[in-house]
Amino acid sequence: MPNASDILSAIQSAFPGAVTESRVESDRRLWLTVDAKKLVDITKFLRDKHGFDHYSGAAGVDRINDNLFEVTEILTSHGAHQVVVLMKVKTPRDNPSVPSLNGLYWNANWYEREAWEMFGINFEGHPGLYSLLLPDELVGAWPWRKDWKGYPDTTTGKRAVEKLATSGHTEYRFEPTIEELKAGTVHQRQKFPTFREREEMELGSDAEMIMHMGPQHAVVPGPFLLDLLLDGERVKKAFLDVGYIHKGIEKIMENRTYPQGLVYTDRMCYMASISNNEAYCGAVEKLLGVTPPERAQYIRVILAELSRIQSHLLGTGEFLTLLGSATYSPFMYMIIDREDVVSLMEAVTGARITHSFVRFGGVRNDLPDGFADQTRKVLKMVREKTTEYIDLLASDPIYQQRMEGVGVLTPGDARRLGVSGPPLRESDTPYDMRREDPILVYPDLDFNVITRTKGDSLARVEARMEEILESCHIVEQCLDQIPEGPIQEKLPKKVKPEPGEAYYRVEDPRGEMGFFVVSDGSDKPYRVKVRGPVYAYFQALPPLLEGVYVADVVAIAGSMDSCTSEVDR
Amino acid sequence: MVLKNYKITLKAATRDVEVTRMYPEFMMELPANERGIHELDATTCIGCGSCARICPNGCIEMVPYKYGNPLKNKKMVFPQIDFGRCMFCGLCVDDCPVSCLKMGKKVTIAGWNREDIILGPEKIAVNKFSDKEVADLAAEAARIAAEKKAAAAAAAKAKAEKAKAEKANAAKAEGGDEPKKNNKAKAKGDEA
Repeated sequence: MPNASDILSAIQSAFPGAVTESRVESDRRLWLTVDAKKLVDITKFLRDKHGFDHYSGAAGVDRINDNLFEVTEILTSHGAHQVVVLMKVKTPRDNPSVPSLNGLYWNANWYEREAWEMFGINFEGHPGLYSLLLPDELVGAWPWRKDWKGYPDTTTGKRAVEKLATSGHTEYRFEPTIEELKAGTVHQRQKFPTFREREEMELGSDAEMIMHMGPQHAVVPGPFLLDLLLDGERVKKAFLDVGYIHKGIEKIMENRTYPQGLVYTDRMCYMASISNNEAYCGAVEKLLGVTPPERAQYIRVILAELSRIQSHLLGTGEFLTLLGSATYSPFMYMIIDREDVVSLMEAVTGARITHSFVRFGGVRNDLPDGFADQTRKVLKMVREKTTEYIDLLASDPIYQQRMEGVGVLTPGDARRLGVSGPPLRESDTPYDMRREDPILVYPDLDFNVITRTKGDSLARVEARMEEILESCHIVEQCLDQIPEGPIQEKLPKKVKPEPGEAYYRVEDPRGEMGFFVVSDGSDKPYRVKVRGPVYAYFQALPPLLEGVYVADVVAIAGSMDSCTSEVDR
Repeated sequence: MVLKNYKITLKAATRDVEVTRMYPEFMMELPANERGIHELDATTCIGCGSCARICPNGCIEMVPYKYGNPLKNKKMVFPQIDFGRCMFCGLCVDDCPVSCLKMGKKVTIAGWNREDIILGPEKIAVNKFSDKEVADLAAEAARIAAEKKAAAAAAAKAKAEKAKAEKANAAKAEGGDEPKKNNKAKAKGDEA
C-alpha cells in the first residue's frame, strides 16, 4: 500500500513545479498547496492513477491578513490505501475563483456550494451555484468572511432597527429601508431563481405534480424540505432543501476558545455527541501534539461504542415507527433498551445526551466503581434483545416485502455519491474509519466490519442491528483489556496551539465524521470545518429517490438514519 | 411468521420493566457523576473568576457574599449562576483551580420568575463559615493586611534611606572605598 510520501513523489514527478508547498504529516496525511491552474489535472491524476475515489469535502478558509482565500480539498480512497490528501489552492481575495471539481466527483457539488455561499468563492464550471444552507436573502453577504459584521447592515453589524411602538413595546425591524438600500451600507439581495422556482421549471406535463414532504413532516428527522416531482405514483425527480435549522456552529466556534468550542460539537447531533467530541478533541490534540494516556483512550472507545449502540437502537426504532409497524412497536422496546445504555453513559459522563465528555489529552471522568459489571449485564441484555429483533424483522413477511429491493444503492453508485457509514458498507464496500484511519486503541481490538452485498433498505437496517452486536463485542474487549493509570495528560492552563492545521476523522454511528481545525496561534480556532456523514446522505438522497414509488420514499429516506441538525450545523 | 410479532408483544406486555415513573414523587436514581445544579464550597473559593471566564454561555457572574474566607478570597466575590442559561457542560467545574465548584445530584430548578432561577452563592453554597468564623477570619485578614501595610511602609522607608545614601555616595564621587560604603548602606536597609 502506498503511503503519503509515495503519493507526494508521484505527484511531483508527474506535475513538476505544480506543488508549491508540501508536508507529510504522517503515513496517512499529506498536505499540499498546489497551483490553482493544475488543480483539476492533479485531482484527475490522483483519482485515476492512485485510487482516490472518495471526495471527502472542501473547506474554505479566509486568510484576511494575506489577502487570500484558501480552499482545502480533502481526497481519500475507498480501501485502495489509507492516505488522506488535503490539497490547498489559494485565490486572491478580491476576485476569488477556483476550478470546480464537480466534473470529477459528483458529490463535490454541495461542498462547493457551501463554500460559495459562505465565502463568495466562485467555482468555475459548477453546474448551479445556488444557496444551500443560507436563505436566499443572505446570498452575497458572504457571512463567514472574517470582515463580515452582521446582517442587514454590513458596515456596523446592526442586526435590527429598534422602534418604540405606541403600545409601549419595542419593535424590531429587520428589512432595510429604501434610504439604506440607496446608501449601499446594507446588503442587497441578488437576483436568481429561488428553490421553488427552480423546481417548478422542471414540471413537464399537467400529469406531473410536486408533493412537499417537509419542512415539518412526521417522517423527517428534523426540518428539511423534500419536494417530490411525481408522475403518477412514481417519483420523477426529488429536490432537497436544507438550512432550516442552520446554527452557524462553525462560525460560533471561531469566536469561542478551544475548550468552549467543545460544547457546541455536542449539539450538532446529540445522538453522536461522543464521536463529535472525539473528532474535535482529536483534531486539537494533533495541533497541540499530545496523545491521551492509554486508559483514557480505552474509556473513549467504550463510550464511543456505547454511543453507537444507543444511536442505532433509536435510529432503527424510529425508522420502524415511520414504516407504520403498528401491531408491534419495536420503537418502544428499543427505547426501553436504550434507556439502560444511556444510563451507563450517564454514570460515566454525568449527562444523558450532551456529554461534553472528551477533553484535550484525556477524558473528564474515570469509570465509576462497578461500571464493568453493570455494563456486562446491560450488554448481555442488549445482545439478547437485538438478536430477538433481528429474528423478528427477518421473520415478518410484511416488513420484508416493504423493504427488500427498495432503494438499492449499487457499490458503484454508493462510492460515486460519496456516502459513508452503513449505507456505503451495505453496498459491498468495507469502508470503516476504525479500520481505514484507526485512532485510539482500535488497532488493538478485534472486530468485524459488517458488510452486505445487496445495498437495499433491508440490508441497511439489518446491518445496523448487527453493528450493535459488534459494538457489544468491542466494549467487552475494552473492559477486559483496560489498564490502570492516569486519564488526563498534563496540559497548560490556557490551550494555545501553534499555528497550523489538522484534520481528524472518526467513525460516527452514521459514517465518516471529520474535523478540520485551523489554528493561528491564539486561544481561539481560526476556522473549524465539520465534515459530517449525514450531509453526504442528504446529498445522495435525490438521485436515490428517482424512479421509486412514492410509498417507498419513507422506507428509503428513513433507512439512511439521518439527522438534520448535523447537516445544518 | 407474523404471529411471532404478537408473541413478542405479549412477552413485553407482561415483562416487569420500569419505563415511566410518577415523576415528582419518584425520581430516578442518579449516578454520583451526575451534572446537576452546582454546589459551591464557599470556604475554599478564592474568587478568581475562572469559572465565569470559561462559561460558553456567560451565565456565571461574580457577586459579593459574606460567608467565605477573606484570607483567600480578597474581594469576597463568589459565583452566581443563571440556570436559565446554564447548559450543564461542566467546564466551570473542570477549570476551578481549587475545586470548590462541584455539580450535584439536584436537578429541579423550576421557578415562577426568571429571577428565581438565578441562584446566588447563598443558594448554591453547601459549605460556608458561620458569622463568628467570618468575623475571626476578617480580623485575621485585617491583622495580616495591617502587618503587610506596616512592612510595606518600612520597606518604602528603607528604600528612601537607601536612595538617600546612594545619592550622598554619588555626591562624594570617590573611587576606591565606594563599593564598601554601598554595601554598608544596603545592610542597613536590610536591617530596617
